[in-house]
Amino acid sequence: MPLLWYALLGFFFAGYLVLAGYDYGVGLLLARRDTPAAHRARLTALGPFFLGNEVWLVAAVGILFGAFPTLEGELLSGHYPAVAGALVGVILVTAGVQLRSRPTGPAARRGGDRVIVAGSALAAFGWGALLAGLLQGLPIDATGHVTGQTHLATPFVAATGLALLTLAAAHGATFLTLRLPAADAPATARLARRLLVGALAAVATATALGLLSDRVRAATRQPLPAVLLVVALVGALLAARAALRRGRPGVALVATGAALALPVALVGVARWPAVLVSTVDPAATVTVTDAAASGPTLQLLGWLLPPLLPALLGFQAMCWWVFRGRTDGRAPVYW
Amino acid sequence: MDTLLLARLQFATTTSIHFLFVAVTLGLVTLLVGLQTTWALTGDPKWERLTRFWGQLYVINYVLGIASGIVMEFQFGLNWSGLSRYVGNVFGAPLAIETLVAFFLESTFLGMWIFGWQRLRRGVHLALLWGVALTAYASAFWIMVANAWLQHPVGYRVDDGVAHLTDIGALLTNPTLGMALGHVIAASLLTGGMLMASVSAWHLIRRTADVALHRTALRIGLVTAALSVSLVQGFGFAQFGPVGELQPTKFDTGPTADARIAEWTTRFGPGDYTPPALSNVGLGFMILIGFTLGCVWLLLPLLWRDLVIRLRFPLWLVLLALPLPFVAVILGWLAREVGRQPWAAYGLLPTDQAVSRVDPGLMLASLIGFSLLLGALAVTNWTLLARHAARGAVDPALGRPPGTPDDDRSRPVPALA
Ligand code: HDD
Ligand code: HEM
Ligand code: HEM
Repeated sequence: MPLLWYALLGFFFAGYLVLAGYDYGVGLLLARRDTPAAHRARLTALGPFFLGNEVWLVAAVGILFGAFPTLEGELLSGHYPAVAGALVGVILVTAGVQLRSRPTGPAARRGGDRVIVAGSALAAFGWGALLAGLLQGLPIDATGHVTGQTHLATPFVAATGLALLTLAAAHGATFLTLRLPAADAPATARLARRLLVGALAAVATATALGLLSDRVRAATRQPLPAVLLVVALVGALLAARAALRRGRPGVALVATGAALALPVALVGVARWPAVLVSTVDPAATVTVTDAAASGPTLQLLGWLLPPLLPALLGFQAMCWWVFRGRTDGRAPVYW
Repeated sequence: MDTLLLARLQFATTTSIHFLFVAVTLGLVTLLVGLQTTWALTGDPKWERLTRFWGQLYVINYVLGIASGIVMEFQFGLNWSGLSRYVGNVFGAPLAIETLVAFFLESTFLGMWIFGWQRLRRGVHLALLWGVALTAYASAFWIMVANAWLQHPVGYRVDDGVAHLTDIGALLTNPTLGMALGHVIAASLLTGGMLMASVSAWHLIRRTADVALHRTALRIGLVTAALSVSLVQGFGFAQFGPVGELQPTKFDTGPTADARIAEWTTRFGPGDYTPPALSNVGLGFMILIGFTLGCVWLLLPLLWRDLVIRLRFPLWLVLLALPLPFVAVILGWLAREVGRQPWAAYGLLPTDQAVSRVDPGLMLASLIGFSLLLGALAVTNWTLLARHAARGAVDPALGRPPGTPDDDRSRPVPALA
């Protein structure tokens, strides 16, 4: 039972990174100096999906609280700066995208774009830092609490944050290649391929720093699957680049999406069966079973799943289906 | 400054901001369902225009509901890790159900509703709005289940110092839930109704375009406000029964309260088990506001032959009364939550054990950061709401046919502005 919920937690958080990842990627691309029309086209491309993407995070945290209450407290408060930073980012993007076009003045809209850029960068970086923080373990003491936040200040954390940021940017550009009018596709595809090179470099740096860090090495319980997952991540990025060159943006988007989901799988698998590794007291390490809610709570939530999960995914799929295809002059404009 | 005080201040600030917006969400979505359903049934374009105008305001308001809601959700883990550790098995379940059953679907539906105006069939589009409304009510229900449990923990067993769920039925029939939920929903309807009436009153005072449209909205708003203010009063007084019995220390200092404090002193050691005096002050003002707003009933006879509009001063009264429901909801929550102190879960988990062991400096940074951020967003949001409300129903961006430029200057200027 705890395993199922752990997988589900991973599924929702990975789903969040994949879907909101392209929101943040598109958000980052608003930093480019383009015409107002180009910015409008990018936001219109996000259009109907935006609200349904960010809510995967809300669901993931709901599962975290319901199914892993002990984990929630230490995980979030143990990575306070990373989580709070990401949260500020999420809020800025949420408010920025939705409010950006409500004022009509060009200056106000440019201001809105800047808010979106800053928020996207903070959110992507913050979640990357959180994942890295989990991989390198925390100073959990014998009472089960984490004290201090300096454990987060390592090169590995910074590199992983940057890696997630570049991944999001590449993912966003790939999304736009698939979604903007066909005439814009070649230019965005070129941009996406350049960004993919950057992402590859950032992932390589983060991996190298991770391999060099004794904390990461000590926290890793399953080295082989971990390495395989990193290889898969690099493979996904290369595949995305190849697909873009061959004019297959759909395939490329699946590949960049996988590249955003794989870090979550990596964090889940590398430390299995631990979920929070203590760097100071091996006995204080928390495993999945320790962290899970007690039987009756999981049972109650378990009753909900069979009817609920198909409904949740079904309505999301309905949204993708209804608004599929490239945007054109007939696409509804709102953001 | 200690971490506990800062964490409490942060919770108080962010929830209050959250509630100011979600009360409007809950109230307006109900009215919108009415408007769009009427449009679907009658086919009269007037109802479409009303739906688009009020839908636009609703969607702008929604932004802050989401932004502050996300902060709320994370705050439990960031600042109140003791809460999740000791009572998370019980308290977490309704919150998890809320996020999955309510928020996930609500946002998905709303996204499709905003962008679906010309894309979807009328029936599907209307069904989406019904979905948004039902899930919004579901979220209010589950969050109140969670809150009611903190007010009066039931259906659990303590093993090894951690609470475990034994009976979800007890959570759903919690005596502190029913009347409070009714009161909160009625208060939201009252807020939504007053907002609709006030904005329409402003347009009628200024004699802007679309008199017929705003007249209809004024009538809907006033009738909604009148019906819900009676419900607010009813559910409000009905709360005193269970609260007085189950939380004797909340509003009075009689012998029952003393007995309870003596019991806690033996169980948890000596300490101050009375809530801060602050909680009672707000309650009186809220009740006063409740009776003041009850006077909307006096305006209803004036709907006859549009006397409300022709006499004009009632319009001013409605406009000036707009802040009252917002003040009242905050005061009400202060009474409920501060009155529960010093307990995070009443009689079970003291607040000082619920707070995270975070450095006070970090907590202060977080308090200032999130308060400024949400505060700034709230002000921006209200400014935009006011501007869009003032712009009137001529051509809201929501539901505008595709292909129309979104540049404002190309739009017709209202004739009587
Ligand atoms: C428009 C807003 C509004 C208005 C006019 C009123 N209330 Fe209220 N009240 C709320 C909005 C509200 C609220 C914000 O929704 C609260 C906070 C928690 C809750 O359950 O509802 C609340 C709480 C609350 C509580 C505290 C419950 C607790 O501590 O558990 C009581 C006893 C009342 N109310 C009673 C009343 C009475 C007797 C009113 C007037 C006749 C009244 N309220 C008007
Ligand atoms: C949206 C309306 C709400 C408002 C305005 C509100 C207001 C407040 C205030 C003012 C405090 C601080 C009390 C003090 O420290 O003296 C507080 C604390 C708290 N409230 Fe609420 N509250 C709301 C709803 C809820 C709900 C629905 C829940 C539960 C699901 C909840 C859970 C808590 C918790 C956990 C604390 C912190 C612990 C404590 O100080 O008791 N609140 N709230
Ligand atoms: C009585 C108190 C509350 C009520 C009635 C309420 C109601 C709502 C409603 C109707 C929404 C939908 C969005 C919107 O309306 O703008 C919402 C959003 C949200 N609320 Fe609350 N809420 C309350 C308190 C809380 C608390 C204490 C939490 C913390 C756990 C919370 C967490 C959230 C979250 C995470 C969202 C965002 C959902 C999304 O992304 O769509 N709410 N709330």
